[in-house]
Amino acid sequence: MPEQWVRRDSGPVVRPYAVTGGRTEPVDGEVLDVIAVVVAMPGVGSDDDDPQRRTPEHSRILALCQRQATVADIAAGTRLPLGVVRVLLSDLILSGAVTVLRQRPAGTRPGNDVLQEILNGLRAL
Amino acid sequence: MASEPSDSTASVELTAHKILIAGGFGAGKTTLVSAISEVRPLLTEEPLSAASVGRDNLRGLPNKTTTTVALDFGRITISDSLVLYLFGVPGQERFWFMWDELAYGALGAVVLADVRRLDDCFPSVNYFETRDIPFIVAVNCFDDAPRYDLAEIRLALDLDPDVPLVLTDARQQASVKNTLIRLVESIAAADGTLPASTRALTAGR
Repeated sequence: MPEQWVRRDSGPVVRPYAVTGGRTEPVDGEVLDVIAVVVAMPGVGSDDDDPQRRTPEHSRILALCQRQATVADIAAGTRLPLGVVRVLLSDLILSGAVTVLRQRPAGTRPGNDVLQEILNGLRAL
Repeated sequence: MASEPSDSTASVELTAHKILIAGGFGAGKTTLVSAISEVRPLLTEEPLSAASVGRDNLRGLPNKTTTTVALDFGRITISDSLVLYLFGVPGQERFWFMWDELAYGALGAVVLADVRRLDDCFPSVNYFETRDIPFIVAVNCFDDAPRYDLAEIRLALDLDPDVPLVLTDARQQASVKNTLIRLVESIAAADGTLPASTRALTAGR
């Protein structure tokens, strides 16, 4: 069997942190939780003018932010590693293209109503 | 939130909660997550070794390698505004640094146990005990595993009496669903947030 250099399922050929320019931490140092909810600011589309010199990866993330999405959803949707998505998202947040709707607060358990809603939802599965 | 009239889903703010699925290698984490998740997305992380973490740290380190860790990741839509995420936490010791991040703000955890290798789940049990994260232990009923009494397993695990211990079949959606329900019920009961009538109603299930 001839040896294949790149298989379809072997993932991206570019090393993961190349798309962040080698950066492994968000610019502002704030690490987004894996289930933090983000959304594109109204009127900011993925094919807009490119004042911040967005990379194709920035644009792909912005496209997924057109509706509310979690960091995990975006990582899965773009097939980029979580750490890479965090760095690129922080660029978009700093440039004002994306806003964080909900960052999980530390140490707070959801209240009765939320737990009950989760229970009802699970039972209905 | 729910009382507001919502003529468009875009106006409803999304809330996400996460439940961790832990346990030793081969305990059935992937199976459990796939049994109940509505999608089967791939989630990866490229962890860097602790010594190399820092800004721009891949520059000038041409030989630094990253290892792709595939995370088990599941999604259960509860409503327009509420989504439950399941994250399988990698059991191998070298990935333990990822646990703190995933556990941050987590609703609770399910520790999957395999009776043939019960000690594999000790580190997970210790982790959640010491961090005061609500968890239950679910014994995955592998076909070829010997059957033990739950009381024996509880003893072997030296489990706190408050921690629910259940049998589960990670392959069966209904079984996994009941396991998650037990977890959320135990969280609610510990908080005293569910009215007693609801607890009585659900206890018989």
